[in-house]
Amino acid sequence: MSTDSTLSHDIHEHDDHHDHKPSGFLDRWLFTTNHKDIGTLYLVFSLLMFFIGGSMAMIIRAELFAPGLQLVEPDFFNQMTTMHALIMVFGAVMPAWVGFANWMLPMMIGAPDMALPRMNNWSFWILPFAFAMLLSTLFMDSGGPAAGWTLYPPLSLQGGQSFAFVVFAVHMMGISSIMGSINVIATILNMRAPGMTLLKMPLFVWTWLITAFLLIMVMPVLAGAVTMLLTDHFFGTSFFNAAGGGDPVMFQHIFWFFGHPEVYIMILPAFGVVSEIIPTFARKPLFGYSAMVYATASIAFLSFIVWAHHMFTVGMPLTGELFFMYATMLIAVPTGVKVFNWVSTMWKGSMTFETPMLFAIAFVVLFTIGGLSGLMLAIASVDLQYHDTYFVVAHFHYVLVPGSVFALMAGAYYWLPKWTGHMYSERWGKIHFWLSAISVNILFFPQHYLGLAGMPRRIPDYSTQFADFNMISSIGGFIFGASQLVFVGVIVHCVYKSRQKATSQVWEGAQGLEWTLSSPPPYHSFNEPPVIDSSTIAHADSTH
Amino acid sequence: MMSGTQQDQMQLKRKRAVKTAWLLAAVAITVFVAFLLSGILAS
Repeated sequence: MSTDSTLSHDIHEHDDHHDHKPSGFLDRWLFTTNHKDIGTLYLVFSLLMFFIGGSMAMIIRAELFAPGLQLVEPDFFNQMTTMHALIMVFGAVMPAWVGFANWMLPMMIGAPDMALPRMNNWSFWILPFAFAMLLSTLFMDSGGPAAGWTLYPPLSLQGGQSFAFVVFAVHMMGISSIMGSINVIATILNMRAPGMTLLKMPLFVWTWLITAFLLIMVMPVLAGAVTMLLTDHFFGTSFFNAAGGGDPVMFQHIFWFFGHPEVYIMILPAFGVVSEIIPTFARKPLFGYSAMVYATASIAFLSFIVWAHHMFTVGMPLTGELFFMYATMLIAVPTGVKVFNWVSTMWKGSMTFETPMLFAIAFVVLFTIGGLSGLMLAIASVDLQYHDTYFVVAHFHYVLVPGSVFALMAGAYYWLPKWTGHMYSERWGKIHFWLSAISVNILFFPQHYLGLAGMPRRIPDYSTQFADFNMISSIGGFIFGASQLVFVGVIVHCVYKSRQKATSQVWEGAQGLEWTLSSPPPYHSFNEPPVIDSSTIAHADSTH
Repeated sequence: MMSGTQQDQMQLKRKRAVKTAWLLAAVAITVFVAFLLSGILAS
């Protein structure tokens, strides 16, 4: 490793004078090829989708506040559950991670921009059209998709003409994701600064590299599956139509071959962000960097061979059930390595608890709860009872909300001063954290009990025995939803009102190339390749 | 600003990146077509 430490933090501060930002609004945002601008577009878009999907969640929780039908028709309720999931998965969480990738990857590896800037622009601007198409189905005669985000036939094939819009929207989202992933891989493999070897890369870069490979392998599978649904619906084929010799269960196999890696697509970058934040606020290098990289790769590999644990109830051979059960349980090993390493990083560290660290610690604790309920669901024999109950809803929401979404929040607070050049309000950040952390548990923890008691998911009405826990869950939901307005307030204040300037390093314990740039970074970062030395390597073992 | 050598290196990197992108696109298209074909042949 080079020990040249001539790279001063101030060198890049002067680059502001050579920004050459496009002056017009359209040039700046519509035709932009700049990774920071495209990252901002992705993040703003995902925040908008987060609130649209969140509004749907509010409708769902309002309807479930008490037994009986009170606010919406059952068919509209089903449209809400389906659209909520599609928007949160494809519109909020995934684009948010792509936004983080756009902003941070080039700065973390010492590249001037993403490798394919024009394709980067295209992959973002496809998304608004895809989601306009998807959301427009709610206003069509046949209504939006109502068969669940899994789009299982034959139910999904009973929808009306609007189903074509749903399929094309999914195609466009897939194309966007694939182009984004190609760009991420091409950038990481080709654009690293001299000396930035693979095992010197920050964990966030590693997790995104692996996530991008997952996306390229599984998004075409989803595209294939929905294309077959499309032809079954409109062109008389029978891929999944039993009456015509097709097999509806085959769709479930294909869908979950995409769907399970999709879960890791949403959580692996979260692992990366948390692996950046914990060392910074523990003021210690990440414990077991190499083990973290191999654990991430192991999780990604295992995600391809566990899909049928989502469909134990369809009736598969015992050997199949055993295989998928044990393979699923095996994921706990690399995941456990990660949790152990995060805790070990914090062990005897000089910890401080700024908002990003609070969200990161909540992530570790609450994601682990989601992981443990996942292990319970992996047991084929007991899954027969849990399947399609609120226990499953509680499980995956623990993984995705205090898991993936909390990591997004943590990352946003962590890098917001770097992006904007201003410090956010720590007081309001902490208020946002505590409101979110408490309400998210009021929202989702009671759903475990509802599921264990047998309440099925995706129903607008329920037996009176489930009333109390549903009411508690809904109250938690409303508080959680309202708390996110605080987040918007913090961001708006930070961007437009904050008077406290951020330094280059922002956080005392922060290490890595992105912290050598000014805050905000120059429009074109690293016009000269940076020098890689011990002060600019975030976590890597010095032996590599 | 970049020196001439650095600019040459950057050009080379970008050329390699485009090759990587084509390779990855080919993988994605192959997976898509393979899944469609497997469905068509199976039915």
